[in-house]
Amino acid sequence: MSASKKYTYYPGCSSLGSATHLDRSLRAVAPKLGIELKEIDDWNCCGASVGHVEGGALPQTVLSGRNLAKARQQGANDVITACAACYLNTHGVNEKINNDVRTKRRVNEALGAADLSYDGDLKVRHACEVLVNDVGMDKLKEQVTNPLTGLKVAGYVGCQTVRPFAATAGGGNYDTCDQPQFLDNFIKACGAEALDYDPKTSCCGGSVSVYSPDKTLPLIKKIVEPAVDAGADVIATPCPLCQQNVEMYQDAINKKFGTNFNIPVVFYSQLMAVAFGMDANRDAALDRNMIKPLKLAELAKKGGA
Amino acid sequence: MSAIAAADGRKYDLHFARWVYQNVDGGDRLPLCMQCGMCSGSCPLGTAMDYGPRKLLMMIRAGMKAAVLASDTIWNCTQCYNSWLRCPRQIRVTSILQGLATVAVKEGYAPKRPTARFSRAFWFSVTHFGRTDERLVTAFYYFSCGFKEGIQRALANLPIARRMVKGKRMHLGAPHRVRRTADLRAILTKAEEIETREKVSEAGR
Ligand code: SF4
Repeated sequence: MSASKKYTYYPGCSSLGSATHLDRSLRAVAPKLGIELKEIDDWNCCGASVGHVEGGALPQTVLSGRNLAKARQQGANDVITACAACYLNTHGVNEKINNDVRTKRRVNEALGAADLSYDGDLKVRHACEVLVNDVGMDKLKEQVTNPLTGLKVAGYVGCQTVRPFAATAGGGNYDTCDQPQFLDNFIKACGAEALDYDPKTSCCGGSVSVYSPDKTLPLIKKIVEPAVDAGADVIATPCPLCQQNVEMYQDAINKKFGTNFNIPVVFYSQLMAVAFGMDANRDAALDRNMIKPLKLAELAKKGGA
Repeated sequence: MSAIAAADGRKYDLHFARWVYQNVDGGDRLPLCMQCGMCSGSCPLGTAMDYGPRKLLMMIRAGMKAAVLASDTIWNCTQCYNSWLRCPRQIRVTSILQGLATVAVKEGYAPKRPTARFSRAFWFSVTHFGRTDERLVTAFYYFSCGFKEGIQRALANLPIARRMVKGKRMHLGAPHRVRRTADLRAILTKAEEIETREKVSEAGR
């Protein structure tokens, strides 16, 4: 295999909690794709989508500022993250530091309190963009030793993975914000069938689902139902919050609407791990999905590569 | 002193509109809003809010400070970026709503809003451990609704919690934390200081 490229990895808090299966499967497939991940030393939370409400705008901004400063201390490699919220915050702050002198001055004044500083010279990239632009579908296909033949997958991208940055120069210009194709391309590269699935960027309710599920259950239903109707074995997504919302609230939807949904929701990287012939649990972390992706597990090679 | 003049009984306060234009991220383009309604039409929860985004933006421009900051529009924004992408005037509605959430909390308009309580729980975890502990944030949030409701909600979510623990997506030990929490706190404190300092000087401009 050709030489690998080094990235500074920001796993984010969900990698230690609700999305350990994203982190685990991504770390498993990365070396096969020539991606070398080195974690940001002592990284902190990015503030997610709610930190600013209590903390304030600048405190929220400096959370990413500290991560970027720490990442820069480790070198000039691109920063990569797989979580939509982490990406949105870290990339957004990075752009702001570059485009707005006032933000740059304020962030650096705050960082100075811990003898840190950051110039703005790193690139912050979403893992999916790296897979599209640096790795490419050909290289992805080369690694597939266990094609997911016959697996029907509904590719659900969600909002924040592609919004608002996917179609911007800084965001790597790798897809559109309304009808993104990258996920279907991943699915096909893995040998599975990417179903015609319309609500690609429908909203799962994001963090509003935590406190007002009454309002967001209908939104999640609009994501689950078309997948089930299309005969999907599994829904695949890149976003930790989407994965959690769409998986966790199916019971509540069934109760509220008298439906009978029970469709597994996996990360694209879990599909890849299985397609690369790796172990179902150790690498693909299929045992971590609350609704078990049985068909995908059947396809997984015993023992793995 | 607070950064924005108090609404003090006045329904219309144009100082508030100007303050939003100058201080809220994305506010600079707000005067360009042409009230076309694309934002409300594409909002996933537009019909579940007191006022859809279009109307709220008009209210800001009319200086209806109290009504704006007390509205539940701010709290139902899922940050899906539909309006951001579709607004023909490139107004960053998502950012404006996020900015207003902070203002509503700071000015005491939202003590009971679930998002505000959730954010308080979240920020507690971030400032104490440097990381979000989902268990802690959820528990803290549930119990902020009162002890009885806290117990009820916690029990209702026990089956999910069990499955999460079993699936190794929730651990049972102490919270994960950054090593240099003191550094992080120093940075956050400094950031708060800068915000206070610069807002006061702006308000006096
Ligand atoms: S879409 Fe833009 S211009 Fe139209 S009402 Fe909304 S903010 Fe105003």
